[in-house]
Amino acid sequence: MTHLIVIGAGLTGLFAAAHAAERGATVTLVALGRGGLALSHGCIDVLAVEPPLEAMSRLDKSHPYVKAGQKALRSAVEQFLGWMEQEGLPYQGHLEQNLRLPTALGASHSTCLAPAAQAQGDLEGKEPVTLAGLAGFRDFSTSLAASGLERIGVRVANSVELPLPHQASVRDRYSIDLARRFEDKAWREEVARSWKTRLTGARRIGIPACLGLTSHPEVWRDMHERLGALIFEIPTLPPSVPGLRLENALRNRALKAGVRLIEGSRALGQVDGRSGGRRAGGVVIHAAGGPRALQADAVLLATGGFLHGGLVARQDGRAQESVFDLPVRVSGDRTALTAGSPIEAQPYATLGLLVDSRMRPVGARGKAVFENVFAAGGLLAGSDRSSEGSRQGIDLASAWRAVESSLT
Amino acid sequence: MPALSTQLLVIGGGATGLGIAWDATLRGLKVVLVEQGDLGQGTSGRYHGLLHSGARYVISDPTSAADCASENLILRRIVPHTIEDTGGLFVSLPTDPLDYPDAWLDACRKQGVPAEEISPAAALEREPLLNSRLGRAFLVQDAALDSFDLSHTLVDAIRRAGGTVWLRQRVETLHVESGRVVRADVRSFRTGEVVTVGAEVFVNAAGPFAGEVAASAGIALPLALGKGTMVAMAERLVHAVVNRCKPPADGDILVPIGTVCILGTTDTPVASGKELSIEPWEIDLLLAEGEALIPTLPDHRALRAWAGIRALYQPPQSDGQPTRTLPRAHAIIDHSANDGLAGLITVIGGKLTTFRLMAEETLDLVCRSLGVEAPCQTSETSLPDPAHGQLSPTKRLAGFDRDGSGPKPVETICECELVTRSDLATAIERDGIDELDDLRRDLRLGMGPCQAAFCAYRAAGIVHDLRAPHMADAGLVDFLNERWRGMRPLAWGHTLRQMELIRRIYLDLLCTSTAPEGQG
Amino acid sequence: MTQAGPSADLCLKCNICTAACPVAAVTDRFPGPKAVGPQLQRFRSPRHIAPEGSVEWCSGCGTCSSVCPHGVAVAEINIQAKARLRALDPPSLRDQMIARPELLGRLARPMAPIANLLTHSKPSRWLLERTLHISRHAALPRFARRTLRQRNPSRIASSPPRVADRKRPLLAYFHGCSANYYEPELGETAIAVLDALGFEVVLPPQRCCGLPLQSNGLFEPARAYAQSNIRSLRPFAEADLPIVGTSTSCTLALKHDYRAILGLEGDEVDLVAESTFDIFEFLSFRHPSFHNEMDFAPVSARALYHAPCQLRSHGIGAPALEALRRIPALHVVESSAACCGIAGTYGVKQEKYDVARAVGAPLFAQAAAEAVDFIITDSETCRWWISEHTRLPAFHPIEILARSMGLA
Repeated sequence: MTHLIVIGAGLTGLFAAAHAAERGATVTLVALGRGGLALSHGCIDVLAVEPPLEAMSRLDKSHPYVKAGQKALRSAVEQFLGWMEQEGLPYQGHLEQNLRLPTALGASHSTCLAPAAQAQGDLEGKEPVTLAGLAGFRDFSTSLAASGLERIGVRVANSVELPLPHQASVRDRYSIDLARRFEDKAWREEVARSWKTRLTGARRIGIPACLGLTSHPEVWRDMHERLGALIFEIPTLPPSVPGLRLENALRNRALKAGVRLIEGSRALGQVDGRSGGRRAGGVVIHAAGGPRALQADAVLLATGGFLHGGLVARQDGRAQESVFDLPVRVSGDRTALTAGSPIEAQPYATLGLLVDSRMRPVGARGKAVFENVFAAGGLLAGSDRSSEGSRQGIDLASAWRAVESSLT
Repeated sequence: MPALSTQLLVIGGGATGLGIAWDATLRGLKVVLVEQGDLGQGTSGRYHGLLHSGARYVISDPTSAADCASENLILRRIVPHTIEDTGGLFVSLPTDPLDYPDAWLDACRKQGVPAEEISPAAALEREPLLNSRLGRAFLVQDAALDSFDLSHTLVDAIRRAGGTVWLRQRVETLHVESGRVVRADVRSFRTGEVVTVGAEVFVNAAGPFAGEVAASAGIALPLALGKGTMVAMAERLVHAVVNRCKPPADGDILVPIGTVCILGTTDTPVASGKELSIEPWEIDLLLAEGEALIPTLPDHRALRAWAGIRALYQPPQSDGQPTRTLPRAHAIIDHSANDGLAGLITVIGGKLTTFRLMAEETLDLVCRSLGVEAPCQTSETSLPDPAHGQLSPTKRLAGFDRDGSGPKPVETICECELVTRSDLATAIERDGIDELDDLRRDLRLGMGPCQAAFCAYRAAGIVHDLRAPHMADAGLVDFLNERWRGMRPLAWGHTLRQMELIRRIYLDLLCTSTAPEGQG
Repeated sequence: MTQAGPSADLCLKCNICTAACPVAAVTDRFPGPKAVGPQLQRFRSPRHIAPEGSVEWCSGCGTCSSVCPHGVAVAEINIQAKARLRALDPPSLRDQMIARPELLGRLARPMAPIANLLTHSKPSRWLLERTLHISRHAALPRFARRTLRQRNPSRIASSPPRVADRKRPLLAYFHGCSANYYEPELGETAIAVLDALGFEVVLPPQRCCGLPLQSNGLFEPARAYAQSNIRSLRPFAEADLPIVGTSTSCTLALKHDYRAILGLEGDEVDLVAESTFDIFEFLSFRHPSFHNEMDFAPVSARALYHAPCQLRSHGIGAPALEALRRIPALHVVESSAACCGIAGTYGVKQEKYDVARAVGAPLFAQAAAEAVDFIITDSETCRWWISEHTRLPAFHPIEILARSMGLA
């Protein structure tokens, strides 16, 4: 018998499924497709305010951090750091203070945990930064990054454009294509040779994140040795290499822990449970041939917000939760959902499910709709995570809390 | 203040103004054209994309219909590369007046507008997405005309013939001396500098801003401004222009143009040329009317919405008439005769389809007032493709090859619309650049489904590299704000998902909000 | 079900599919599924085929569709685009041949030993490569002297047996070309297992599922086979009899491709689709005690299980893997590869072989590194291909189950 069905394969879903499986539960993870990790920087953003934990105490009680609790955040982060160490993808940083990492636009990204290769780029670091773009790579602009950094008062020692071998390309390369090239030792040899002369005197070099996909630690170390300087990575446009590395690590973790993965099917609707409709018996998935019923003791919705369809906004101004049609409170005035600039905070981004103290979605009277259905991650109401800089922290903390609740 | 003198100063660089300036060069006149924005930033760049066959107006506005029918043929001859011969369909739905099609067909014949009835089955075979319950169907000679291509073509022709075209320059004041307009103050958007231009004749082709231009010479122009909203769907849902066969109303035309198709339009009175905001009811109406024609419309992606403003001449006796029912035919006002002010002619109204005819009539008047004998040559003069600007889908794919093994256009910056780095560099070198939207108008950068989610950063990087000298920053945030503005009226379903992806990239990943003043 | 073409509108251009594509990962010639799929779709119309030939390099593995979080039918769009492009030229003799395993099977059967010599001797394979461009490195199956149907005539049922005649629950076995003309022993193993589990198995009238024709852009003959299968299977579906298959590609065609790619519509098409099951899917979902109560006897071995790409497209996870994990003493390592490279007939083609092998290289390496005794995979073309490249035996999971049940 399956103990837990997790729906959604983003950071929330993967983390929740792996965690539950390691706690001894039989877990099935269902997802229509992959989640948003391929779009992300691979870091764990907790709160872009200094110091992050203290700021958390000032959050509204409906905020997902308050619902999940600080203990859940701490435990999840500890779990996460341990896992990443074991998966060969060590992270640095801690909850007491943000790192400030340079972005491809030369802005400053506040984050609590970053992969080691990115953490080396901390703007508080002593060594001056040399920015290096890659010739023909359209997803990183050295001049934009350099001028941005200069304007926020970060001294950029130098900006260079580094050549890449085999320039006669028949198609544009994404960062993943470069990352795969870097897995090849002969490529690295040729690259390092042509780069060394252009990097004399450089102490800390920031390049677009492309140092390997599956063997990143080895690739990074090798390039560091060959160039004789610190190298750090700057994430660029999706598909994001650091995001994909994190996704691979979490998927491996989940599969090793025995999570059963069903990819490519949409979960839609519940399997009738007993108890007069107070329990969900599982979920119905729409597979290639038709619907299939997956039964389980509990269901954890990690389907995200609007981006990947955990929530759906309708023309009439209403918003729907897409698996169980759980209630989402919204005014019905669709013009009130967005604000004038994408850079501003957006009302729609705070929409989602309200949950009780056990992370169970509640109805109009504040009572859990189902005894055994839980929600975590972007599906939760109460936070514009892009504006707050809190996306991954909420994913981890709420996933932890929801799993703990579902298994007790 | 430095001064410049010419014979003809044309105010306004939409299709009307450009057509007038071009006609002027062919008649041997010295001409300067001044446009306050970028090419295509005004009404001509916001229009529906339709080269009218005239069929739409045969009953409601026969003069306009006849003009459209004859100009349609002329434009196909002289600027063929701007036109895609999509053909057009008029279809009636079960809810449309049953007696209209026959009356309409009759009127088509009378006006010399070709229209041929086909069976509903034949119509559905051509356009499988159309409502299968359609009643009657007719083929007409509508087509799609790309106004950006047209603008570039005309500017190219004007300049080659020795004419002057100034973009991002605004006529602020017209100076009158002894009952005659003698010079104009023109301010540059880029430098703020003011130049005085003297001319023998001034043509006011400023569209929705014609009232302001005329007012600066002390003339009160009775203009009716009607705002029309349009929605672009991400794909060519139809391959021919599709019209409803009923009395013209809101939302009854669907035009395929390039890689998209455009649902339009509405007609709301506004007070100024700057009122371009979109109301929810307009979107709901356009989508509902679109759904009547294409029942699966809600399953398709709506890219963005925008508005353009038509200026129509409102003769005194038609005060209070709804703007939709005002004659679409153009008006050419000789202020010398009308208002006792010499040297100024205002050209208002009309359709983009009739721009050449409007220009011809205007230049006839201009030549008369200059005492110049010069017949119009525009209908016989084919214009070459300047080989830049927006490209039709087939042109864009020319770089790709059949067997999949040859070189591809690399450094594709906008993947949705297949715009390459060299396209961008060429455009910047040729025209300079004031904002990233210039590249959007020139090349369709950021006009595809992802609405610049990826190409905004890439293009900003290229512009930054080329250090366009007068740009303080790469204009990234402004560009994103413009895309957002177009998506907001459609912010639900998949359009909202696309908006959210933009935030993931520009906020989460690039942290654009923390980028300081001037960075963008 | 969403039609392939319109689903292009759902694409956000996020590149999650590009990151997951096994072909784009190994060759520059393929720009990725997004580029040739939903991106180029906007440029295609009845008047413009968009002659962009790189879609030819798509292997049709379907990974893109199963990772897309927005429901874009990327693979289906690409397969349709390929077919339209192919329609511009007459199909090659080679493609005509490899697309017709049923015809080949029927023709070769009477002289199976000679035919097998032709397909398995080095000199004749060299000749086949020179003349027909069938890669001499790709594994080809052996023709059986007697088909499954010839060996089991009593099970042939042209229509569903009457209810009164049914002593046990009945199911119809869709054996496909492989279990009829090439591996009838596998078919008999499957029948034996089902029989032992209490099912009466009949062999309905059937033709080739048509997938090889579809993959090679020959949609009209594919539709002819499809319509024939719908006609002959419909009565079984109407009689509520499950249609069970051991070939994950045949069952995918019936469940999904007929509708989503070939564009067949109608109640009977839907009914057959909804009645079709992969054999392990059937046992997991329809045999109530299969997982919970059954005891499996030990099979002492180390094996690598590879979920074929067509199986992933079913959207049911890997039900065979769950069953294998219940067999004592069997140590099953799960392959991390999305595709082994053969992708139906793709790897058989001389011009595609290098790409196909590069796609499968990590899988072959994993088999070696894990020092497994054999490969287990549900698809026949995967078995032949992986076996050829790892020099290890390859079994259908039903064969391992049979062994555990003492039937093999």
